[in-house]
Amino acid sequence: MSVAASHSRTSYILDKLQSLSGVIPIGAFLAEHFWSNSYALVSAKSYDNVSSELQLIPWRIFVESTVLWLPLLFHSFYGLYIWWMGKSNVLGHPWMSNWLFTLQRVTGIIAFAFIAWHVYTERFVGRGMTAYADVQASMMNPWFVTFYLIGIAAASFHLGNGLWNFACKWGIAVSVKAQRAAGWFGAAVAVSFTLMGVAIVLGLHYGKFPLGGYVQ
Amino acid sequence: MKHQPKIIIVGGGLAGLMATIRVAESGVPVELFSIVPVKRSHSVCAQGGINAAKNLKGEGDSTWKHFDDTIYGGDFLANQSLVKAMCEAAPAIIDLLDRMGVMFNRTPEGLLDFRRFGGTLFHRTAFAGATTGQQLLYALDEQVRRFESEDKVKKFEGWTFLSAVLDDEGICRGICAMNLKTMEIRTFPCDAAIFCTGGVGAIFGRSTNSVVCTGSAQSALFQQGAYYANGEFIQVHPTAIPGEDKCRLMSESARGEGGRVWVPKAPQDPRRGKDIPENERFYFLEEWYPKYGNLVPRDVATRAIHKVVYEMKMGLVGEPAVYLDVSHIPREVLERKLEGILEIYEKFVGVDPHVEPMKVFPAMHYTMGGLWVDNENQATNIPGVYAAGECEYQYHGANRLGANSLVSCIFGGGIAGPAAVRYARSLARGCEATSPAVYERERVRQQDISDALLNQHTGTENPLTIWRQLGDVMTENVTVIRYNAKLQATLVKIDELADRFTRINLQDRTQWANQTLNFVRELGNMIVLAKVITMGALARNETRGAHYKPEFPNRDDANFLKTTIARYNGGDIQLAYEPVDTSLLPLRERKYTASA
Amino acid sequence: MPEKTFIVRIKRQQRPDESVHWEEYELRYRPYMNVIICLRDIAEHPFTRDGKESSPVTYDANCLEEICGACAMLVNGQPRQACTALVDELEKPIRLEPLTKFPLVRDLQVDRSSMFENLKRTKCWIPIDGTYDIGPGPRMSPETQEVGYTLSQCISCGNCLEICPKVNENSHFVGAAIVSQVRLFNMHPTGKMHAGPRLDALMGPGGIEDCDNAQNCVKVCPKGIPLTESLAAVNGQVLRHAVKSFVFGK
Repeated sequence: MSVAASHSRTSYILDKLQSLSGVIPIGAFLAEHFWSNSYALVSAKSYDNVSSELQLIPWRIFVESTVLWLPLLFHSFYGLYIWWMGKSNVLGHPWMSNWLFTLQRVTGIIAFAFIAWHVYTERFVGRGMTAYADVQASMMNPWFVTFYLIGIAAASFHLGNGLWNFACKWGIAVSVKAQRAAGWFGAAVAVSFTLMGVAIVLGLHYGKFPLGGYVQ
Repeated sequence: MKHQPKIIIVGGGLAGLMATIRVAESGVPVELFSIVPVKRSHSVCAQGGINAAKNLKGEGDSTWKHFDDTIYGGDFLANQSLVKAMCEAAPAIIDLLDRMGVMFNRTPEGLLDFRRFGGTLFHRTAFAGATTGQQLLYALDEQVRRFESEDKVKKFEGWTFLSAVLDDEGICRGICAMNLKTMEIRTFPCDAAIFCTGGVGAIFGRSTNSVVCTGSAQSALFQQGAYYANGEFIQVHPTAIPGEDKCRLMSESARGEGGRVWVPKAPQDPRRGKDIPENERFYFLEEWYPKYGNLVPRDVATRAIHKVVYEMKMGLVGEPAVYLDVSHIPREVLERKLEGILEIYEKFVGVDPHVEPMKVFPAMHYTMGGLWVDNENQATNIPGVYAAGECEYQYHGANRLGANSLVSCIFGGGIAGPAAVRYARSLARGCEATSPAVYERERVRQQDISDALLNQHTGTENPLTIWRQLGDVMTENVTVIRYNAKLQATLVKIDELADRFTRINLQDRTQWANQTLNFVRELGNMIVLAKVITMGALARNETRGAHYKPEFPNRDDANFLKTTIARYNGGDIQLAYEPVDTSLLPLRERKYTASA
Repeated sequence: MPEKTFIVRIKRQQRPDESVHWEEYELRYRPYMNVIICLRDIAEHPFTRDGKESSPVTYDANCLEEICGACAMLVNGQPRQACTALVDELEKPIRLEPLTKFPLVRDLQVDRSSMFENLKRTKCWIPIDGTYDIGPGPRMSPETQEVGYTLSQCISCGNCLEICPKVNENSHFVGAAIVSQVRLFNMHPTGKMHAGPRLDALMGPGGIEDCDNAQNCVKVCPKGIPLTESLAAVNGQVLRHAVKSFVFGK
């Protein structure tokens, strides 16, 4: 419990990067990912189109590494270190914000596990070339579906709550009022991302195209 | 080469911190001793404000009027020249505090705001909400921390002062102190020591004072030969919340901001205070003292409340108390100016004072008396020993005006620091030339006292019981109203307690963070000082300021316009008297009833 | 009618290196009792509920009106000041424990000197030129004063550190109280001229970045200080300061 006499800024920069990487690029990628997967609710064809389009990004490996893999790895492993530095006391003091603090850590772990598995199966086993039919087939497995739903909910919560944290930790929302507004914004993100993700998973599971009405 | 002097300051309240700052500023190293971390000193309890005639309200206030109010409020017992100097220095003290970052309340123009306080007709009290003492203490604490970071001050927090180290010529060469965690007793050499050890509330059991305000240090010095002056002048604050552990102050600022004191006209009126209509309330202070109203000096208000409750039997139903009412003041004003104290009331009583009148009663609050110091340097009669703040007697005469204590602490500390430095620099040989045997002698004497207490296994008396009984008898007989027969009975009781004290049972004989051992040592000193206070009261057959004897209801300048000086002589306490310096302001009758 | 009593359970430990044990006391109920009165009752009659001789409990206390900050402890698991913990409002038996985030001294007494040390490291003071008379201080709007006054009421009790999940042996976090003090000094007209070094101090390990927004601190502050606002405000200050000193080299 002391400010170290050293004026090393390494930990400050790492902490700030951890916080920033959760929003940009990871949060932004999550939004994009949910967006492109939403084509699964339009039609199998449009899903396959978007999927193959994404394969054609120039400098793909380079872009993926800098925009995705490295930030994700850093955010995750530095996040684990931050997790280790905190000791939740929510059972003795079950206040809302204390729950959010604890859940941020729990959902971080869940999302980490889910994403690792998801990336392994989709990106490396499937080499990122999965077509609608393959995905839908895998979504027939109820364990798959459950894991997806939990993973999506965890990631969405982690992002929404993280945005609230971000607003406070970057001095964007200072007053109690502004912090509350940021909290509602974060909650809206968490809920809408969760709903979007659930819709995609269930759409694939049942093979339905609820947004496909205007595709002729 | 001339030796580098070293100053020790005992006590880290306002006076001690101010002295520390002044000494450190002059480039002399300071060791600062305090029982508690200095930020937790009793000065934090001061609420209402600090006086200075800055005349920012266009009322024609002046430092002379501040001086006049102070001397008149103190019933002409204070030595006048230093009081005048204090009042003249007060505006600059406010400026200094302002520069140190004290969050004083402001006017819309961004200037300091001032409120009214007791015993004056001017808006002369600068304030920071209703926790001015806290804010002032913090500002000085921060300055000292800055000097600490520059290695100019070394703090010894968690040490208690036991005695001064006096050489064979009776010159102070250091102090002896005890570490409250390890219980180690050690001596610390110095060329001069400044004592800023505060009040004596614990002698009265329940007071508005903090736990550390035992007067133990003053008493220890007194027993080593320091004179103790005007001990009998004890201020009882008119408005406090009575409590079993302490009486919590309801600041005079509540009245300064328009708060009114009243009781129901019908004795034993069973209705709640807020339900009693205006015309059925007896605003006795406003009625009896139309000029000053609720802002009469504290001794006057306290006696009026006693009269209403005990003589007229018009106290509130079921308890000795009167109403202090701020519920008519706009909530916005209360929140900006009085929130701190209203919160205290609500927390401890569970009633919202924004809506309902508060129930209050007088409680022991302050000692005007204290260590005798000279009229120039805050020097006691022991060479090398200085005193400032509540623990000395210089500034308040027979009664202190509200919001004058903070200014006297800072002024006194500000004088004592440089004076101690001058003295230390003038010494032909400093403490480094003092024989180690002198220090060892004092350490052994103090160690023996602790060992005797720790090794006494046959004791039967509980220290808290003795303390409670001491407090009860002192509060009953030596506060608001004093009768000689009761004072004599009190002396007998104190002797009985002193005798029982020799058979005390510590119930904790460990050598680690043993608070009982420390408390018992303090209690022994409290008993001695209780006797000084009571003897002074018994001998002073008059009524002056806070000292009220119905058998002698008038001020008697012919016989008692003099300072009581108590001396300790091998276990015996003797009283002597010294004339009062009245060179500046002629005596006049002290009468707050006048309507002009 | 038998007199009303209640039970107080106290976690006791003679020295930091000795074993912990709990003791139970049965105390006589009176109206308006607080935890301090309970501890004094025990000191006056130091016998446990089953009649075993014990010793007075060691604890810190001074002003007894929640302004000195000394008597913070865990009362029924919550960090709070013992003086304002009224027996009437507490669940019985009353459970008393020392704060856990500070080195224990004995029984309910802990060593909070690290808080004062951190105030020193963060330079929480206004650097004045001297105590001599050089006229009034800077003007200040009543609005600034009101915010400043609220912040300057911090009594260094340590409750906000005790309740913070990021204050523990794995992290060096200074806690909300210190950060809030930095905000206070950085908003003062003179203090803001020296904001840089304070922000530098909060940029190192244990500084502001360790706050992860559990926002427990603000719920246990006896003075109602808006600690979460202070944390966010200082977060912004540190960030701007960091960017500025990176881009402009100071």
